[in-house]
Amino acid sequence: MKRKETVFFGVCLAFFGFMLYEALGQIGRGRAGEVGSGFWPLLTLSGCALLSGVRFIYCLRREGRESSSLPREEEQASERPQVRQNAVLFTMASFLAYLIAIPWIGFILATLLFVPAVSVSLGERRWGVLAVSPFVLTAVIVAVFAKFITIPFPRGAGLFADFSRLFY
Amino acid sequence: MEHYLQALATVLQPQNLTAMVLGSLWGLLAGALPGISTSMGVVLLLSFTYTLAPMTAFVLLVGAYLGGITGGSITSILFGIPGEPSSVPTVIEGHALAKQGKATYAMWVYLLCSIFGGLFSVVVMILATPLIADFALRFGPSEYFALTVLGLSVVSGLSGGSMLKGFISCFFGLFLATVGTDGITGEERFTFNTVTLLGGINFVVAMVGLLAVSEIFIEAGELFQEYKGSVEYRGLLKELPPLSLFRQYLLTMIRSPIIGTIVGALPGAGATIAAFLSYGEAARTAKREPEKFGKGAVEGLMAAECANNASTGGSMTILLSLGIPGSNTTAMLVAAFMIHGMQPGPLLLSTRPEVVYGIFVSMLLTNLLLLVLVGVSIRLFLELNRLPYSVFSAAILILCVIGAYGLNNSVDDVFLMFLFSMVGYFMRKFGVPVAPCILGLVLGDLAELSFRRALLIADGSPLGLVSSPISSLLLAGALFSILYPFFKRPKMISGA
Repeated sequence: MKRKETVFFGVCLAFFGFMLYEALGQIGRGRAGEVGSGFWPLLTLSGCALLSGVRFIYCLRREGRESSSLPREEEQASERPQVRQNAVLFTMASFLAYLIAIPWIGFILATLLFVPAVSVSLGERRWGVLAVSPFVLTAVIVAVFAKFITIPFPRGAGLFADFSRLFY
Repeated sequence: MEHYLQALATVLQPQNLTAMVLGSLWGLLAGALPGISTSMGVVLLLSFTYTLAPMTAFVLLVGAYLGGITGGSITSILFGIPGEPSSVPTVIEGHALAKQGKATYAMWVYLLCSIFGGLFSVVVMILATPLIADFALRFGPSEYFALTVLGLSVVSGLSGGSMLKGFISCFFGLFLATVGTDGITGEERFTFNTVTLLGGINFVVAMVGLLAVSEIFIEAGELFQEYKGSVEYRGLLKELPPLSLFRQYLLTMIRSPIIGTIVGALPGAGATIAAFLSYGEAARTAKREPEKFGKGAVEGLMAAECANNASTGGSMTILLSLGIPGSNTTAMLVAAFMIHGMQPGPLLLSTRPEVVYGIFVSMLLTNLLLLVLVGVSIRLFLELNRLPYSVFSAAILILCVIGAYGLNNSVDDVFLMFLFSMVGYFMRKFGVPVAPCILGLVLGDLAELSFRRALLIADGSPLGLVSSPISSLLLAGALFSILYPFFKRPKMISGA
C-alpha cells in the first residue's frame, strides 16, 4: 500500500508538472493590471505540484526507512483482498462497457445487460434477484425518465434503434 | 400587517393552495431525481404559468423552487448522489449516517433543519429585506474574491487526517475550474482541442463521478451485503429526533441559517458557499464528538441543511428588492415576472405589493407544507433501502449515468463522469478527500474571475484585493479559519 501511495503521488506530480508546463504557454500580459489567462492555472497547478512533490518525497523517504523491515504479515495481508480487488475491477469494467454499449445498442438493452453484470460483480448470487431485477429496474427507469421526463436516451444503431423506438 | 393578512387570504384560495401542493410535489420530484435540477424543474413549469393568474403562477413556482431545494437532499442521504453542489456536505454526513442504519434519523434531522432554515430565512426576508439588499450591493469583485477564499478556507475542516492532502485536492478542484474557455479573454485552456471541454467541466458531472460512482467502486471491494442498510421505522412521530438534540446544537442551529440567509443573498454562489461555510464552521467549533465529522456527524448535517435552505430566502430577497437573480432558479423566476408583465426590483413593492407579500406568505406556507409532505413520505423513501444491495448499487450507477447524460443529452459527459469516478476512486483509496476538490471546482470560477476583475480595477495592484473593510474582514476570517487547526489540536475529520 505504501509503495502504491508513492506511485500515486508520483503520478500526481507528473500530471501536475505536465499541466504546469501547458499553463506556462498561456501566460501573457494584456492591458495594465490584467494578469492573463495563464496566471490562475499557474497558481493552482503550482500549489498542486508543490504539495504533491512534498508528499511524494515524504512517501519515498518513509519507504526507504521501512523497506528493510517489511513485516511478513503485511505481505500475507496483501494477498487476501485480491478476490475483492477483482470485484472492483469487474465493476469498473462492467460500468465502462455499459457506457460504451449505450450509444451502440441503445439504453434499454445496455441496461438489461448491465444490471445483472454489476450485480454479480458486487457478489449477488440469488437467481431470483438476478433474473427479475434487470427487467423491473429498466422498466421503472424508462417509464420515469424516458416517458415521463422525456430525456432522449440513445436509441442505438440500426436494428437496435428500431427496438428502442418500440418503447420511447 | 394588513398587507400580510390580505396576502394570506389570497394564498389560501383553493386554486393557489392546489398550485402550492402541485408545485411542491413537482419540486420534490425534480430535486430528488437525478437528471433534472431544481432550475430545470422550474423551467418546465414556466410554460404552464402563461394562462394562470400571477399569484397562482408564483405560488406554483415558489413551491417548485423550495421543493427542489428540499428534495435534493433526499438522494444525497439515501443514495449519496448530490443533486446540487450545496448538497455535498449532506452527502458526507447524511449518507454516512444512512450507511450506519440511521437513515430515518438522518432524514428527520435533514427535514427539520431544512424547514427551520427555510422559515428562518423567510422571516428575516420579511423583516430585513432593505438591510440585506443594501449589504449585498456593497459586494464588488474584491469582496467576492474574499468571500470565495473564506469559502475555500473550510478545506481545513474537510481534509481529514492530512491537511496537505486536503489542499492538494482543493488546488486540483481550482485547476479543474479553469478548464474550458476563459471567461475574460475567451482563450481556450486545457481543452486539448476537444469540443467537450470547451464549455468547461460541469460540476454535476464531476460531483457524481467523484462522490457517488467512486463510492460504489470502493464498496465493491468490501464484503458482500444483502441489503444497503437496515430500516427501522416505528411510526411517524416516534421517529422524530428529540428536542434535546436541537438544544445540544443550539449554536449551530442559530449560526447556520444566519450564514445561509446572508451568503444566500449574494448572487453567484450563495447556497454552495453557505452550506460549506456553515459546515466548516460546525466542524471547526464542534465540541461534541468532533471526531465524527466525515463519518456521520449529525451536527454537520444540521449545519449544512439549515444553511442550504436558508439561502432561498436570501436569494429571493435580492431578487425582489433589486431584481438580481442570485441563482439559476431565481433567474427563471425573473422570466416568470416578465411573462406576467412585471419587473422585479425596487419598484415592485410599490407597483405590485400584493405579489411581493403573496410570495413572502407562500414561502412561509410552502415550507410548512414541505414538512408535512416529506414527513409523511419518509417511510416511502426509506423502503428503497429494502432493495437488494446489488440492485440498489446498480440503480445508483444508472441514475448517475442519467444525471450526467441529462445535463446536455451528451454521452461525452457520461464518459467524463467515468473519468472522474476513477480519479475519485484513487483519491479515496490513498486518503485524499474528494470534498475539497468539489469545493474548489464549484468556487474556482467565481474566485478567478473576481480576483482578476479586482486586479483590473486596481490597475494590477494586489492591494485592490483588500481595498474595502468587508474584503479585509473576510480575508482575515479565511486566514484565521486556515490557521486555526494548526493552533488547536487537529480534529479527526475524515471528509468524504
